[in-house]
Amino acid sequence: MKNRLRVLRAERGWSQADLAQRLEVSRQSVNAIETGKFDPSLPLAFRLARLFETTIETIFRDEEQAGQSLPSAESGAR
Amino acid sequence: MDCTTNSPAKGRYMRRFSVTMLLYVLFLVLAVWFFVHRHPTGPMAWVLALLPSLAIIGQIVAFGLYLAEEKDEFQVAMGVKSMLWGIGGTLSVTVTWGFLENFVHLRHLDLIMVYPIFCLVSGLAYALLQWRYR
Repeated sequence: MKNRLRVLRAERGWSQADLAQRLEVSRQSVNAIETGKFDPSLPLAFRLARLFETTIETIFRDEEQAGQSLPSAESGAR
Repeated sequence: MDCTTNSPAKGRYMRRFSVTMLLYVLFLVLAVWFFVHRHPTGPMAWVLALLPSLAIIGQIVAFGLYLAEEKDEFQVAMGVKSMLWGIGGTLSVTVTWGFLENFVHLRHLDLIMVYPIFCLVSGLAYALLQWRYR
């Protein structure tokens, strides 16, 4: 699942290890989530959202919904 | 700092694993010594024969406890994945060996080799996963 973790992390000047320490997970876990190789559970996604003081939807991109929203947006414009 | 490569749960697992491994070596040496020098029979023989396997069961329980106690869900997923590779690899090797044993009279594979095969395959899988997500 695509996400904005790298951007959010960079905005705060945190390394992957810094974020891992704050989340109490391994740096490998942060790397796997960040690169989209591992989708976190809902509780971990909420923890990330709380840490970055934002919503889950701001961090993670629902690709299915993003794909569907394009045609409906176009049809709405017609 | 890679804070969780050694999480508290992993630390406990390593301690439990070390204890069960130590017990395994101890029980195995004890059983072999008794069977070679004292030729035990009856219940004593059964107890001595079962001791090493109890230590192996302890190792399996220790890994189960690690999966239950580990808070890092990604590490749990890696542990489960490597275990699935271990199960798949062990079943593949043993069933293939079984057919070869029956049809082309390949050397008999002792059942006590099943656990080391499982450990080898799951260990390799864990190392590969560690490398993939390094």
